[in-house]
Amino acid sequence: MNNLIARAKELLENKIVQVIVGYEAGPTGVARPAFITNPAKADLLIYDERCVQNLAVYLTKPEVRNLGKMAIVATLPVMRSIMMLISEQQIFADNIIVLGVSSDGSLLDIADIKVMQAYIEKSDLGNPVKDRALLVELNKLSKEERFAYWQKELSKCIKCYACRQACPLCYCTRCTVEVNQPQWIPVQSNTHGNMEWHILRAMHLAGRCISCGECGRACPVGIPCHLLTMQLADEVHNYFKVYAGTSEKMSSVLSTFEPNDKESFII
Amino acid sequence: MARIGVFVCHCGENISATVDCGKVAETIGKLKHVAYSTDYKYMCSDPGQTIIKDAIKEHNLTGVVVSACSPRMHEPTFRKACAEGGLNPFLCEMANLREHCSWVHEKNDLTTEKAIDIVRSQVEKVKLNSALQPIKVPVTRTALVIGGGIAGIQSALDIANCGHKVVMVERSPSIGGHMSQLSETFPTLDCSQCILTPRMVEVAQHPNITLYTYAEIESVEGFIGNFKVKIRKKAKSLDEKICTGCGLCTTKCPQKKIPNEFEQGMGMRPAIYIPFPQAVPNRPVIDREHCTYYIKGKCKVCEIVCPTKAIRFDQPDEILELEIGAIVVSTGFDIKHADFFPEYGYGKYKDIIDGLQFERLASASGPTTGAILRPSDGQVPKNIVFIACAGSRDPAKGIAYCSKICCMYTAKHAMLYKHKVHEGKAHVFYMDIRSGGKNYDEFVRRAIEEDHVNYIRGRVSTIYERDGKLIVKGVDTLLGAQPVEIVADMVVLATAGIASSGAEELAQKLHVSYDSHKFFAEAHPKLKPVETNTAGIFLAGACQNPKDIPDTVSQASGAAVKVAALFSQSELTREPLVAAVNRSGPPMYSTCVGCFLCQSVCPYQAIEREDFKTRDGKIIKTVAKINEGLCQGCGTCVALCRSKSIDLQGYSNNQVYAEVVALLNEY
Ligand SMILES: Cc1cc2nc3c(=O)[nH]c(=O)nc-3n(C[C@H](O)[C@H](O)[C@H](O)COP(=O)(O)OP(=O)(O)OC[C@H]3O[C@@H](n4cnc5c(N)ncnc54)[C@H](O)[C@@H]3O)c2cc1C
Ligand code: SF4
Ligand code: SF4
Ligand code: SF4
Ligand code: SF4
Ligand code: SF4
Repeated sequence: MNNLIARAKELLENKIVQVIVGYEAGPTGVARPAFITNPAKADLLIYDERCVQNLAVYLTKPEVRNLGKMAIVATLPVMRSIMMLISEQQIFADNIIVLGVSSDGSLLDIADIKVMQAYIEKSDLGNPVKDRALLVELNKLSKEERFAYWQKELSKCIKCYACRQACPLCYCTRCTVEVNQPQWIPVQSNTHGNMEWHILRAMHLAGRCISCGECGRACPVGIPCHLLTMQLADEVHNYFKVYAGTSEKMSSVLSTFEPNDKESFII
Repeated sequence: MARIGVFVCHCGENISATVDCGKVAETIGKLKHVAYSTDYKYMCSDPGQTIIKDAIKEHNLTGVVVSACSPRMHEPTFRKACAEGGLNPFLCEMANLREHCSWVHEKNDLTTEKAIDIVRSQVEKVKLNSALQPIKVPVTRTALVIGGGIAGIQSALDIANCGHKVVMVERSPSIGGHMSQLSETFPTLDCSQCILTPRMVEVAQHPNITLYTYAEIESVEGFIGNFKVKIRKKAKSLDEKICTGCGLCTTKCPQKKIPNEFEQGMGMRPAIYIPFPQAVPNRPVIDREHCTYYIKGKCKVCEIVCPTKAIRFDQPDEILELEIGAIVVSTGFDIKHADFFPEYGYGKYKDIIDGLQFERLASASGPTTGAILRPSDGQVPKNIVFIACAGSRDPAKGIAYCSKICCMYTAKHAMLYKHKVHEGKAHVFYMDIRSGGKNYDEFVRRAIEEDHVNYIRGRVSTIYERDGKLIVKGVDTLLGAQPVEIVADMVVLATAGIASSGAEELAQKLHVSYDSHKFFAEAHPKLKPVETNTAGIFLAGACQNPKDIPDTVSQASGAAVKVAALFSQSELTREPLVAAVNRSGPPMYSTCVGCFLCQSVCPYQAIEREDFKTRDGKIIKTVAKINEGLCQGCGTCVALCRSKSIDLQGYSNNQVYAEVVALLNEY
């Protein structure tokens, strides 16, 4: 952590970046995002097990962007998000410095995107262990039981769209749900419309979700909506042998065609 | 307020036999926003169109639904009628009551109900139509012809004679293609070279044609009327402007043992060579793969003997960039060789040859100056077997199609043999004789009846060698599958015609489709046999499927007419039914977030980037932009875009949604 603070200070003092995106402790001790522009305040930065939020979501927000060039405290999911955002042309590798942190809290030396890619490639890219276990349980259910499970879960959704706001890959300036000509997704929340919203969100993230789990954590009513996108990440890996966010030149599996593609993916 | 006019057509009895057209018109007439509704026997007829034009004026219509046949059939007719009536043509829609309803159902109330539903959904759609203006695209009036076989030659000459510029790109050192290798041609037995070479020369001398031989297509970008093509002119290793084509170099080259491609490997050629005496252009090239200088670093005999000092060992490949308006693909075909057939010894037996090799043997300019001599020992074969359908029509070999030309050239071969070896015996194994075509069946009958060629209906199961003879074992299915064994001196396989090498790569560069056999695919098997699915790219000859010369030439002229029609105007008018990425004022500019995932799905490479910049040139936002010249309105990008920033003009999400909702709702 001291290394992190020292490095952050150095970057700000030497004006290499204008802002550090990291974590600080809030009044109740909960970790919250910090946007540090003043080197003197770099001491506020923390990194420990409380710091779970995927900070990459801020990379595309104009308010943060307007602060100038940034350095970001990056766990594995953040790094994978950065890769996705670069490959989808939302951010440019030159505009960002990655302050990589390993799972034990030590500062990694991520000099550039190539180093980051190498780090990602040697990491475990599957879904988080506890989500994996949940998915195994869900997949044991029959189709009907599973449908009933999701119907029940999703009927609780209040369409606050916190899951969307928290996801680094839901960066659209206008989401489909905000389109009313035609109204694809009903505004009010009801079981049917909620299902539509979640199917849409899952499909928009299929092959793009980097399994950070942020959407599920953000949900105020406790819907495990991250399991939907994580299951799709599994499917995509099964069929196409790729994990999202592993290269800066990734072509989206669901929007590319290779002449030798097998058709068995039509399920 | 929308004022829609609905015009229900009986299509003679095609629709009215099962649909109560009067009831449809009456029911629809009662709908909100429908200002006028009527039915008539033939809407497409002159009086029918007049009804529409008059109603537009009289009822001040804002949209028209013609409920008739498929829009494929008459949409242009009715759009034109609307335009003449003073309505923007894109405010006219068709409800397909024929193919979608009357033809597929029996006469009853439900059929009429369905017809009403179809019309209702179009009424809802047309309310949301907007007036569109046709798109104008400039046209570069230069055609590119890829492949200089007879197909390419014919197309190039026809286009050039219409007064347009043509660039021909041929990958081998000479134009002429397979036809230049043929001896005599069915069904008239006139000499192939004699009818072909004058045309080859005409290509070379035509003021409107620029010929690049030993050249290949490097890349193709752009769209109809506006292609940008890069051509790689492979180094011929000599200065063509200085070389006089005297050929001295070719006689002195010490490398003399290179199998001659033109002679199908039955002769040898040097490393610096002119493929055949009538080649166009009649200049040699150095085959760097076999030239001693390029292999070992010394030799240069040709440079020493060349009287005009034309040899250039260090010549690089040259890349030319051309602006092209239309492309004719005429890259022809290849054939399978004897090594494709395990049952006939995998090409191990020298005296089993393929059809093209036989053409060279029979050709007066060939390796034997026209004498039929077998390759192993140069003897005249006394007993010769021809096997038709070698590989073709054989799903087990992966070639289910008929190669179309083999029946005819096998008859020709047998005939030529009999004309040259009077005492010899010719046998033909065949599955069926396919000789449809003008004077074709007569030709085959002549082979059988006048030249006494022995036709045996059946397959050959195996061939093996015994005492310098080839034992051909087969069956005669007309004699109850009786086994037949012929002791032959030589066997000629009419091997399957296949796509030319490199066809797949070329198709990918051109973005045109091809079938599972790598033959180029036409846009419609019946109505668009010359077009490809990419506008401005046309097909000619055997690159589409094996064909004979008459078919090739007809198609080549067809392709030329398509090009000439395109070049008849300096601008091209296209239907504006293309995709559009939305635009708005700053700071948003568009809801597009510039992810460019749409770019990778567009099958026509129609999606470009557009930057919004500040006054001092800083990029604020990059968004997608549709190239209207390239977009074919397929809608793939519309379905893909997550933020719903793309819409299809004339088929917007909103319009399609309205159609669906109308169908789901009661009225
Ligand atoms: C054994 C045999 C006998 C035949 N006898 C007769 C007959 O008697 N009568 C008859 O009507 N038909 C006959 N045919 C059929 C005839 O050969 C074809 O109809 C004709 O050659 C087709 O012409 P084409 O121009 O389409 O193709 P091709 O003749 O194959 O010409 C294609 C040209 O394109 C060039 N090319 C290929 N790829 C590229 C590329 N990527 N870039 C640039 N250039 C390229 C090739 O080098 C070639 O010059 C016979 C065919 C065979 C095999
Ligand atoms: S887990 Fe949720 S928040 Fe994280 S990338 Fe996937 S969908 Fe987005
Ligand atoms: S749900 Fe889809 S449209 Fe909405 S923000 Fe996420 S990706 Fe964009
Ligand atoms: S965060 Fe939860 S409640 Fe809100 S929209 Fe997402 S799933 Fe629904
Ligand atoms: S139009 Fe849609 S898919 Fe294309 S770049 Fe824009 S947001 Fe992405
Ligand atoms: S509609 Fe089809 S052709 Fe046109 S830009 Fe979209 S994907 Fe490309």
